[in-house]
Amino acid sequence: MGRSLNWPGKFQWMKILIIEDEVDLARSIAEYLADEGYLCSFANTFAQAIQKIEDYTYDCILLDIMLPGGNGMDILEILKLRGLQNGVIIISAKGALDDKIKGLQIGADDYLTKPFHLAELAARIYSLIRRKQFGHSNLVQQHELQIDLLAKTVRVHARSILLTKKEFDLLLYFLGNKNRVISRSTLAEHLSGDFADMLDNHDFVYAHIKNLKKKLSEAGCTNYLKTVYGTGYKWEV
Amino acid sequence: MKKLLTRTLTSFTLYALVVLVASIPAYYYLINDIWLEEIDEHNTILADRTQHELRQVVLTNTELAETITLWNKIQPGTNLKKAAPKANPGDSTYTVLKQHPAVQDNELKRFRGLSRIIEINGQPYHLLIETNVEESEEIVMAIAILTFFFFLILVIGFLLLNRRLSVHIWKPFRHTLAELKRFRLSSQAVPVFEPSGTFEFEELNDALQRLIQQNISTYRSQKEFTENASHELQTPMAILKNKLDLLLQKDPVTDRQYQLIEEMNRVLTRVSRINQNLLLLARIENQQFDDHQPIALGLLIQQCLDQLKEHFEHKNLALTSLLQPDTVVKGNKTLIELMVSNLLINTIRHTSPGGIIQLRLTENELCVANSGNQPLNPDTLFRRFSKQVDDSSGSGLGLAIVYEICQSHQWLLHYRFTDGYQQFFVQFDNSKFLLNRSSVLPGN
Repeated sequence: MGRSLNWPGKFQWMKILIIEDEVDLARSIAEYLADEGYLCSFANTFAQAIQKIEDYTYDCILLDIMLPGGNGMDILEILKLRGLQNGVIIISAKGALDDKIKGLQIGADDYLTKPFHLAELAARIYSLIRRKQFGHSNLVQQHELQIDLLAKTVRVHARSILLTKKEFDLLLYFLGNKNRVISRSTLAEHLSGDFADMLDNHDFVYAHIKNLKKKLSEAGCTNYLKTVYGTGYKWEV
Repeated sequence: MKKLLTRTLTSFTLYALVVLVASIPAYYYLINDIWLEEIDEHNTILADRTQHELRQVVLTNTELAETITLWNKIQPGTNLKKAAPKANPGDSTYTVLKQHPAVQDNELKRFRGLSRIIEINGQPYHLLIETNVEESEEIVMAIAILTFFFFLILVIGFLLLNRRLSVHIWKPFRHTLAELKRFRLSSQAVPVFEPSGTFEFEELNDALQRLIQQNISTYRSQKEFTENASHELQTPMAILKNKLDLLLQKDPVTDRQYQLIEEMNRVLTRVSRINQNLLLLARIENQQFDDHQPIALGLLIQQCLDQLKEHFEHKNLALTSLLQPDTVVKGNKTLIELMVSNLLINTIRHTSPGGIIQLRLTENELCVANSGNQPLNPDTLFRRFSKQVDDSSGSGLGLAIVYEICQSHQWLLHYRFTDGYQQFFVQFDNSKFLLNRSSVLPGN
């Protein structure tokens, strides 16, 4: 593969193509992702998108379905026809229900419905790139902490600790958003998923994070997860 | 309320009655006149013959007097007697009521008489000829009976015709009516009316078709507007949300500023959830979830319960569930998942901590019940944004979505409050749905 497992520590820039006609939105995404070590290019129209795909390779493509001059689904088809291995995340204003299934069937790797939090997007890109490019040896190492993304196991000082599904989910979310302030409401939204008429998850966020922190510290892990502004969190490395 | 044909029948019958009753005097006068005329003619002929025959025989005055006496005796209808000389007023007719000389009862009969002065042997004689005529009331009676008989024939004819007409002529009308009764605006299908070959019905069908077409397109464009508006809002909300995310990452903010951002985030989440739910409702109504498949409902409910487990625990809710494992319903998986999760979330949200939630799934019914204090208003319960309790956490669309999903699957959704339990029922059996149509809760 030729890439460092310790990405992004060795400044291996990940290239991302944002295919989105709303310039304001594309710029916000790029601004957030730039700090994570991603290099973002833009395509505002269908034609631009096709050209960029032909000319360059990207680690991940963020794809809006409704584009001036064409349908994002067609871009997916083209990518599939060319056999390109880019990860594709659909970001669409269309409801997450059956479009999602359709998109995933055509070959998208993930689907995000607008409006979404940038932290959510960053976490998904992080997981996607790892899944796509690191295949079977999908290990994330951060000092004493080692995470196997495939087996969904966590080790601290080589001793495995048992996390619940939600705790593991949160840990990954933080790894995809290192050094970022993540508010409790953002996490609550992340945990509630696709429920149409969600219940408030704020108390649960607190409970899950408390348990995660406790398990990590009991295993002798440094406290990377800091509480900021009272109800916000930050994974500091 | 009367039937249209009964109304026309009543008018026709009344008219026939009036005409027929009015015809009775007309017939009477006509028949009476003809009759009298004929009898007058008959009397005149008789008088002529009498005069002629009496002039033929040559009699002396004495013989004549005897003959006249005899004549008068054997011919009771005629009377001949000496008249005053020089007085000859010519023929005259009259009608008289008297007893019939040959019949021995006290009834008065009507007679038509002719009086004439004839000359026999140079002597004027007064000749009276009277013929029995039918009495006027008898004629009237006979005509009335006949008229009534014809009236009966007319009425019976009307009734029979009416029955035939109502079956045949009104058939297209009934068909149109049945189509209209079956018509649902949300189904977006224009009813097909049978060609009737009757001008009025064709006109009616044309007008209805045009009206329905217009309504459907208005309805569709409104739905599309909802869908488009919701769509268009998603992107600006995404931008807003992302700017708030960025605001938090830049230079450190104060705790107060963080709180403000967080509050904005929450409101934004609520707005986008309402928006997404409106979009979802529009899409269910536009029948964009037409992919139906058999679904093991018990399993689906169990999965949903697992996902919501911590919410049950958090509010310390006692859950009892009786799920028949082999219940299979046919429907859209996405929508049914939504329906189940919305029902459960609604229940969790509105049960007080420590309350009880009961789930029961049988072959053709799902019942979600929770302990509660007072009945909710079933008329507005499933309407959009009709909040029953003062609680701002929901979107106000959860149950409206459940209602729409049930509608789109032709299931019956209803609510009952019994023994301190709020109960929501979903009945999967279509036939029951049709039978209980009156109890279906009002839609939009």
